[in-house]
Amino acid sequence: MKKKLVSGMMAVAMMTTLLSGCGNSKTDSTGDAPAADTSAQKTESQPAAEAPAANESTAEADAADAIVTEPTELTFIFADGDDGAKQSMNTIVDKFNDTYENITVTIEPGNGGAYSEFIKTKDSVGEFPDVMEMRDTAVYVRAGKLAPLPDDIVSLFKTTTAFDGVTYTAPLAGENTNGIIYNKTYFDEKGFEEPKTYDEFLTLCQGIQDAGDMSPLVVGGQDIWHMGFWFYKAYNDQVLSQDEDFIKHCYEGTKTFTDDSIKNTFTELQDILQYAQDGWVSTPDAQITTFLVNDMAAMMYSGTHMFSQIEQADPDFEMGWFAVPSPDGKTRLVGGGGASGLAISAEAAQDPNKKAAAEAFIKFFYAPENYCVYCQTLSAIPSTVAEPQLDVSSVFQEVIDATASADKLSPMWNTMTGDNELPPDFRNFTYKTLIEVLQGTRDIDSACEELVKTWNVGMESFNPVTGVGIE
Amino acid sequence: MKQKKGLDKVTIAFIAPAFIFFTLFIIVPTISSVYYSFTSWDGISPNVKFIGLANYKEIFTSARFGNALKNTVILTVFISICENVMALVLALIVDNVRWGKNAFRSAFYLPVLVSGIVSGFIWKIMYNYNFGTFNTILKNIGLEDARQDWLGNTSLTLIMIGLVLIWKGAGYYMIIYLASLQSVSTDLLEAAQIDGATAIQRFRHITIPMISGAFTINFTLSLINGLKVFDQINVMTDGGPGFTSETLVYLLYKVGFNEGRQGFGTAVGIMLLFIIIILNTLQQKFLRSREVQM
Repeated sequence: MKKKLVSGMMAVAMMTTLLSGCGNSKTDSTGDAPAADTSAQKTESQPAAEAPAANESTAEADAADAIVTEPTELTFIFADGDDGAKQSMNTIVDKFNDTYENITVTIEPGNGGAYSEFIKTKDSVGEFPDVMEMRDTAVYVRAGKLAPLPDDIVSLFKTTTAFDGVTYTAPLAGENTNGIIYNKTYFDEKGFEEPKTYDEFLTLCQGIQDAGDMSPLVVGGQDIWHMGFWFYKAYNDQVLSQDEDFIKHCYEGTKTFTDDSIKNTFTELQDILQYAQDGWVSTPDAQITTFLVNDMAAMMYSGTHMFSQIEQADPDFEMGWFAVPSPDGKTRLVGGGGASGLAISAEAAQDPNKKAAAEAFIKFFYAPENYCVYCQTLSAIPSTVAEPQLDVSSVFQEVIDATASADKLSPMWNTMTGDNELPPDFRNFTYKTLIEVLQGTRDIDSACEELVKTWNVGMESFNPVTGVGIE
Repeated sequence: MKQKKGLDKVTIAFIAPAFIFFTLFIIVPTISSVYYSFTSWDGISPNVKFIGLANYKEIFTSARFGNALKNTVILTVFISICENVMALVLALIVDNVRWGKNAFRSAFYLPVLVSGIVSGFIWKIMYNYNFGTFNTILKNIGLEDARQDWLGNTSLTLIMIGLVLIWKGAGYYMIIYLASLQSVSTDLLEAAQIDGATAIQRFRHITIPMISGAFTINFTLSLINGLKVFDQINVMTDGGPGFTSETLVYLLYKVGFNEGRQGFGTAVGIMLLFIIIILNTLQQKFLRSREVQM
């Protein structure tokens, strides 16, 4: 009993802290708060849209209550395996229920550990929720289980993922943005500065190497998914900058992996990874933090999830962050909304009351004063154009700012959907081939040939353009 | 008394459970896998498309299969020979020590009890370039330049995996050699000693022929174990760097279960089955001819 009381008090204290961290107060929600004044830019992948006024909750509440002709109940499921997700979702839902008299959102406990299976089970027993956190979006879109989101919701986000031009999910957070996390103390000591161009970045690496104090870069090449961070950077620079639908064109047969842009991808990676530490091929991702905090390497290229790991490993470590510019001078980052996010069921959307209520709930969820609770709790990069004010570390704020000002935000190539979805495990084959190239056991031409062979085999059983393997 | 022909009900009742289990889980999957090797089945979809010999054609033209086959042969030959030499040496040590026989036997056998996954993790940590045991020792004794990326250097990876397999497997074969050594007649050895044979001559002309049965068993087992190595590769290298340490079994797993190409994976499995049969038959023929009947 005592334990319950203590844990209850701690939960209340935690949420109070989180809420106080969010910049907007109750008055904000009435419309007096800073509106969408963040200079967020729309990315290339999403047509520009005016950021809606940030705080229209009250007006929306009135409008939604007007639309709902009778008291409406919505079931809502999310992956509640994470305490942070659970707390923030409960807070927002409680606030919504308090705000909207005629609408009641009921949270049904999800199963965070096996969420996909949980949703499938709910569907199969006829308990598919009205609103849900959707992860296997492509599967449920193909099954006709999700309702399209209206434009006024889609326009709330920096980027969304569309299926045949239709968006079904409101991304809960921006994709994990990769960038260089560096030893700021060392940089200051040696007079190294954050590079503004790609050439400056290579010069910086060379400078650190010449100084001889530590490796310029630490790379966790033993975990091939870690190689994906670097691969996608170069792929984004060389391939997607030329052709955003390269994968689709490969399915169509109009492009192949012997394309010059793919060869340039390998070349760019050869140029960069010559600065990796000795033994990078057998270094696991779990060890790269150790390299950074122990002055064995000056920089790592990874996502924002590393911030907390670095802080835990050495609370006194002073880190900096910068995005690695592309050779053409643009800044292309992993970020924006992916295919997963909040979705409305197609069945619920057939009921006008439920549809209106569900849309009102999603708008309410992403209003900056509410969405900040979620982002703050989960250290998530906001996916909305109107950025919530977050009480985050300066380095994390730099990432948020970078995603707002980047020339291009996109999800990792292996999370793309529709005609650009990769055949199963092609990603891993590519990364392994990349390691061969970087180790010098295979030349670039031969690597490209191998990719083509594997692609052709994979395409026989999976081709979203022709529909093979999609059913 | 007339002997009853056929099987009675009691016999059938005893045989049935094992027969049904064996048929359902061994015979049927084995036979059906032959069929699946002629399809492009992805392992999940209910649609199974017959593609004739395409998978086998790909096997014979695929550089990845060739690389996996080469790795499998190198690893199998390497560990079959080294494991047996090591096991025999250990058995001779245990057989000849005067004190602590049991302690030695237990110590040498201990690695056999460690699971393949766990041993892979332990050795992976020891092989680590920056923080591993070997490189740390080399650094501490002033041989920093001799440090190696044991699992990252493509010319060392297979050897390093092989050493782990030998470390783990030698104790098992040692027990078989030990049992065989202890059955060698002391009369023969004493007679040879009286006739002036040296220790090496006695070992070569009496002990080795007398334990040739153990050689046959151990080489057969180590050959089969070498051909189906999986755990250590999975944990230590994931078949890498690149595809450097990918063996046939690992290729089968990767393409069949990770790349959604169950048909091709099954074809690799069928090829592996043939390779095991051929190698084992040759080995049995060679080793059996050298066995001495008591």
